[in-house]
Amino acid sequence: MSTAVSAAPAAAETSTGQKQCTLAPYLLDDLEVVNFIVNGYHVVKPDLRPGVNEAVAARLDAMERNPGDAICEEVPELNEVLDHPAVRGALVSLAGKNFETMFHRHWHCKEPGTPYMHWHQDGKNRRDMGMDKFLGLYYPADVTADMGPTIIVPATQYRNAPTDRMRTYGNIRGQVPLVVEAGTFAITHYDLWHGTAANKSAKRRHMVKFLFSRTAPNESATWKHDGECMNRLRDWNLREQAADPFNQLTFANPLNVSQSDSYKERAIRRDIWEQLTGEPLR
Amino acid sequence: MGSDNGAQPRQRLLYIHAQTPNPLSAVLEMTIYEPVAGYKVELTAEEPEFRYATVHEALVDGWQIVQFPLHQAEYDDDQIDMVGYEFILQKMEVVDG
Repeated sequence: MSTAVSAAPAAAETSTGQKQCTLAPYLLDDLEVVNFIVNGYHVVKPDLRPGVNEAVAARLDAMERNPGDAICEEVPELNEVLDHPAVRGALVSLAGKNFETMFHRHWHCKEPGTPYMHWHQDGKNRRDMGMDKFLGLYYPADVTADMGPTIIVPATQYRNAPTDRMRTYGNIRGQVPLVVEAGTFAITHYDLWHGTAANKSAKRRHMVKFLFSRTAPNESATWKHDGECMNRLRDWNLREQAADPFNQLTFANPLNVSQSDSYKERAIRRDIWEQLTGEPLR
Repeated sequence: MGSDNGAQPRQRLLYIHAQTPNPLSAVLEMTIYEPVAGYKVELTAEEPEFRYATVHEALVDGWQIVQFPLHQAEYDDDQIDMVGYEFILQKMEVVDG
């Protein structure tokens, strides 16, 4: 197997019609892709042009109605976020070279005093055992713990769990609150369990959600891929403590679930890795 | 929970999602529902701190299991669904409020 860095699209056209420079420096590496396969999320902090986050937040604050899918027409600076090479590089890595930015997007404004939102998976319970559909969560202003942050539960994206049955769950050990800085763009697997805390602050919490999908199966890895990354000598005793792609793909257990579930998760992850790279695992 | 002489005991509920159906296995999630008017449970941004590390610790503290994890459902050895195994426990106590 050769060691190679996958080529990125040389000059992809962005949603603002601009030709974009190569994404190669912004592609994820093997461990980052494995971490997404395992945990179901990846956080990007694009270095946006000064003033973009503030402009988006100001436009949202001034909005008198929620424009739904037309949010990018009302807030054109959002296109700069979507077109940023760090965002596109992560999406190419995870969703493929010709990923689609889907039509649906939504501004989630959590007003002061708004209660928490319970755990749920979006959509119906026909879950994706692959990695084909993604949420993008953009936060134009800082989100503090008291502002009702989005909370995600790592490694729940392959669970076919009816939302009603989640109603007996409170806080779960290992949950991750997206307490983030302005400009953060979090990419999650579409089926990742998520909810929000209550907004107990005096500030509105803004988040604009986007959807992305894979348009074709990968023919090869679309990230900075080392074809030997799964074949190196490894310390089996370290298991999930070792930050190498093989150990993480095989042994990571973020929620400390049972052996039975852990084995099933491992099989799903290995299938996805093989689908994304076209390379059989030993 | 303070006592209230002459009042009737009420059912305190404790939901635990444990790593396995074994009461000695680790707690992954825990929520108490107090029988008090207006009582609320919510998700929080803080790392949860659980009162008990296992179902067994709750038993030692006087809770009783009223529903064990159910295993009668069809088993799928490929798919995964809920996180952990659900135990429902109760404690009958006189409570304020």
